[in-house]
Amino acid sequence: MTVRHLAATVLLVAGCSLQVLAVIGLVCMRDTFDRLHYVGLAGVGALLIGVAILVRESFSLIGDKALLTGVLLVLIGAPTIHVTARSLRIRERGDWREGVERQRNRRASGGGSP
Amino acid sequence: MNEWEVVAAILTACLVACVAVAAFARIADALIALEISGTVASAVLMVLSEGLQRQPFIDLALTLAVLSMLGALAFARMLEGPL
Repeated sequence: MTVRHLAATVLLVAGCSLQVLAVIGLVCMRDTFDRLHYVGLAGVGALLIGVAILVRESFSLIGDKALLTGVLLVLIGAPTIHVTARSLRIRERGDWREGVERQRNRRASGGGSP
Repeated sequence: MNEWEVVAAILTACLVACVAVAAFARIADALIALEISGTVASAVLMVLSEGLQRQPFIDLALTLAVLSMLGALAFARMLEGPL
C-alpha cells in the first residue's frame, strides 16, 4: 500500500464519517433549525471524498470533476442553508425580520435588551 | 468489494434514512432531508465512479450536485407560502 493509497483511504473514511454524522444529526435532532446545521456538514464530507479521489487519481478528468463537485457542494451549501432558514422563518412568522425589528425599536426607544 | 464500494453501500443506506425522514416528518424537515440526500447521492456517485472506474458517473455526480441544490432552493421559495 503506497502513501497515496493510504491518504486517499483516510480521506475517504473521513468524508464518509462526516456524511453519516450529518444523516444521524438529521434523524436525531428535534428542531427543524437544529437539523438545518447538518446540511453544511454533509457538503464538507462530499468535499473530503472529492479530495480523496483527487489524491488517488491525481489531476485527471475524474479527479478534477470530483474536486469541482465537492467544492460546488460546499459553496452552494451555505446560500441554500440561508435561503431555507429564511423561508422557514417566513413560513412560521410571516416575515423573517419579525422579532429583529421589534428588538431594534425597543433599543431605539431606550428600553435596552429584553 | 473494494473500499470505495463499501463506502458507497454505507452512504446508500444513509439515503434510506433521508427518505424515511422526508416521508414521515413535517414538510420543513422533509426539505432539509432533501438537501442532505442530494449531497449524499452526489457523494455516492463520485465514490461509485472511482470504485467501478466508470467516468460517466462523475458527470452525473456533478450534474446532480448543481440540480439538487437548485431544486432545494425552488422548494424553499415555495415553502414561504401556505402549502
